[in-house]
Amino acid sequence: MANGIIFDIEEFAIHDGPGIRKTIFLKGCPLRCNWCHNPEGMSFDRELLVSPNGCTHCGACQKVCPNPQQCNACGACLMLCPLRLRKICGRMTTTDELAKELLKDYEFLTETGGGITLSGGEPLAQPDFLMELVPKLKPFHVALETSGYASQEIFQKAIDLVDLVLMDVKHTDPEMHRKYTGVDNQIILENLKYLCNSGQKFIIRIPVIPGVNDTPANFEKVAQLIQHSKGLERLELLPYHKTAGAKYSMIGQEYNPSFNPNQEPFLDLGMFQKYGIGSVVL
Amino acid sequence: MNERIHNLLQYVLNKQHQQFRQNLELDVADEFSAKELSDGNRITTRFERVLAVEKAVILPGERIVCLRTVRKIPEIFTEDEWAELKKDHYLHELGRVCNISSDYETTIQLGLEARRAEAQEVLLKCQANDDQEGQEFLQNVIRTINAIEAWVDSYIEEAKKLELPEVVGILERVPRYGARTFHEALQFFRILHFALWCSGNYHNTVGRFDQYMYPYLKSDLEAGRLDEDSAFELLEEFFISFSKDSDLYPGMQQGDNGQSLVLGGVDSDGNNVYNLLSEMCLKASLELKLIDPKINLRVDKSTPLAVYQLGTQLTKQGLGFPQYSNDDVVIPGLIAKGYALEDARNYVVAACWEFIIPKVGMDIPNIGALSYAKVVDRCLHRNLSESKDFSEFMATINQEIAAEVETMIAVFKNLYMEPSPIQSILMEGCIPQARDISKGSKYNNFGLHGTGIATAADSLAVIKKYVYETKTITSAQLIAAVDDNFEGHEQLQAELKYNQNKMGNDDDYVDEIACNLMTMFADALENKITEKGGIYRGGTGSAMYYIRHIQEIGASPDGRKKGEPLAANYSPGLNTRVNGPVSIIKSFSKPDLKRVINGGPLTLELHDTVFRNEEAIQKVALLVKSFMDMGGHQLQLNSVNRETLLDAQQNPDQYRNLIVRVWGWSGYFVELDREYQDHIIQRLELAI
Repeated sequence: MANGIIFDIEEFAIHDGPGIRKTIFLKGCPLRCNWCHNPEGMSFDRELLVSPNGCTHCGACQKVCPNPQQCNACGACLMLCPLRLRKICGRMTTTDELAKELLKDYEFLTETGGGITLSGGEPLAQPDFLMELVPKLKPFHVALETSGYASQEIFQKAIDLVDLVLMDVKHTDPEMHRKYTGVDNQIILENLKYLCNSGQKFIIRIPVIPGVNDTPANFEKVAQLIQHSKGLERLELLPYHKTAGAKYSMIGQEYNPSFNPNQEPFLDLGMFQKYGIGSVVL
Repeated sequence: MNERIHNLLQYVLNKQHQQFRQNLELDVADEFSAKELSDGNRITTRFERVLAVEKAVILPGERIVCLRTVRKIPEIFTEDEWAELKKDHYLHELGRVCNISSDYETTIQLGLEARRAEAQEVLLKCQANDDQEGQEFLQNVIRTINAIEAWVDSYIEEAKKLELPEVVGILERVPRYGARTFHEALQFFRILHFALWCSGNYHNTVGRFDQYMYPYLKSDLEAGRLDEDSAFELLEEFFISFSKDSDLYPGMQQGDNGQSLVLGGVDSDGNNVYNLLSEMCLKASLELKLIDPKINLRVDKSTPLAVYQLGTQLTKQGLGFPQYSNDDVVIPGLIAKGYALEDARNYVVAACWEFIIPKVGMDIPNIGALSYAKVVDRCLHRNLSESKDFSEFMATINQEIAAEVETMIAVFKNLYMEPSPIQSILMEGCIPQARDISKGSKYNNFGLHGTGIATAADSLAVIKKYVYETKTITSAQLIAAVDDNFEGHEQLQAELKYNQNKMGNDDDYVDEIACNLMTMFADALENKITEKGGIYRGGTGSAMYYIRHIQEIGASPDGRKKGEPLAANYSPGLNTRVNGPVSIIKSFSKPDLKRVINGGPLTLELHDTVFRNEEAIQKVALLVKSFMDMGGHQLQLNSVNRETLLDAQQNPDQYRNLIVRVWGWSGYFVELDREYQDHIIQRLELAI
């Protein structure tokens, strides 16, 4: 049985597909998006998450630490913090265990027209776990939220398994894409093309980052790529939010966006309307 | 809203109408005492005096009139008399008729002259039978009617002076004669409601407004006297009238005035009767954004999602209502408690959330409250060390709940309540039987709240797990830690506080304990009879008791330190980091809520960003509907933002109209005492 690592489960997810959903966040991502609001989802390893609020600096955590030079997420300090400000992010689980846990909510979620959304990190970066998990989640309505950054084989196999795909198109320009996400977008655009022709139901999402991808030109290219797709449900603009940086300090990192986070993003849906694409700002 | 309503709303919000308040001190008690007037005569004379000095004021643009200008309704007893009375009587709150649901319907339909004729007819019988009490009561009813009519005449004069022929025409019809139109009926209600407050009665609820007013609206629409827009305008003006005098009404805190209005539900045959007026009320409240009237929405399995969606739009405004109640649970629950089917189907919500019966209910649904946390605290200290296993310990809890109930209800003896001729006019059977409503009605039941259910269940889960199962702590260690307020036991406190077995996490381990506690409470009240021959009903509310009960206990085994509050109503503990709202509604729908049907909602706080768009609102509506479908009884949902409240504490002037839900009512945040403000802010740290 395949093992996987997840970093969060969100109850009452209401923006990740139809109905009320539970969203499972798979840990680890090959991209390094400059605006990422879930930095704890980047690494494939378990890691220590420390909430700075309320810490009295009592020192209990340091006294017990066996590896003060390099934290290896051993967890020795967790229970010693009187305020429980420290936790290990990253839960190892099996497909059986997770499926069993989620099926507990089958009736509730299904009655609302919802289901399960698998997100990340990048869920396609744990392909064995994902492919084994999805069939075990049936009869749930299962959605997959992905950056599309995966081999064609994995991508095609995965989108075939699920009921709905939520795919990001972060930038259509290869250079900008590399600059802001750390990876090339060629493979993403090829997978997008496959998705558009597959007949699978899908939603395209653009995280709208001020000064990065919020231009009419980029919006137009996206529109051109996806228009006429039979399975396209709609396009969603996800405006950048300033609180994106909130969790970096918890994993001991600094948040240094190379764009201006205070600038209002351009959120005009006119371009998509022009191409006859249903669109919405979330 | 049109310009007239907008102006009227601004006028009232800016408190410009308060300029008409009179600076006079009415003092009647010494005189009443010297004359040795009976209680009924005192009430009636006071009512006459108050209305005699009331000044007719019609605000600019008003079409539905009546404004309070007398600030304070004087006491009818001197301090010595009160002291004497309290010696051998139990007083519920102010010792007045309050928190019941009046039969406005009959009087609005018939008019006061018809009610007077009824009273006169019965009076003749009383004279024939030499029924002194009945005679005095009916004479007071007639005097009360006289006083109202004379006071309304002063409004007719004022309206003539201001050349308002429409107002003159309406007041010449109502309240003397029955209303014929929606406009007349609304004005009639305003007069009756006003009279209740002037008589010293309080928590004067509105009841099933969309039912008893609908026939007037319907006939106006059919006859073309009104269209939906003009009817809506009248409704909005009527809604504004609830905020004109509300700062003068007695209550625990500003906003706690009991002006609850109930929408939807079923008729006596069980058919859903949500109608056009129900919808118009939701829309008027949505547009006006006022804390009064407080909207309650009765729902059942057949209620369409669209109704929940409209309700959620209202929640999004941050008003703290609508509060939902589930007919599928409440009605059978009331029937099991002895209410007749047609009465149970007609239930309404009292000032906060207690379920009461209009017209025939003289229940006191908030006479006391069981503190679950105190019961646990007592047994922890007295019985834990001797209890061999957890079930033995739970048996002592059961005994203690029963004992606590006995002690509590032993106090409710020889109740005194001031008579109320006006409320008697508005309750079924009082005139025909020539008896004041304070003497009782068809239902004379008492209700007890239950506070701190989550704190108690979480504490018992700790005892079960750590003392009896893993045996990682001894009973002596736990008691010592609690008694030391966890000082020097921080490690243990953290373990207990942050363990996952908390009510609200959909965890059967702890939820079963909560179910047991509530069953024990219901069992303890079975077969208990009030001195008025009524039954006792247990509930899930807290009212202000969540603040009071905390002073009676120290720290608790769930890791809560001394002085840290209990949750308000039926909600997770304040230090519980819950998984989310789905887990909460699953946890809180597990108990058999039909058995603790006094009322008290599950309170959920959702961050205001959740209500982002129409789709999200639909999903929140689905969440509410799910709680009901799973057997929840009552739910109250808040859209909140903690940062806003913190800022409002610092800069109250910028947040005069910021509304929050307190325990059973909505109030203006900056007008609350600091203690309540802080409690709300703490509650919001858990907002999801």
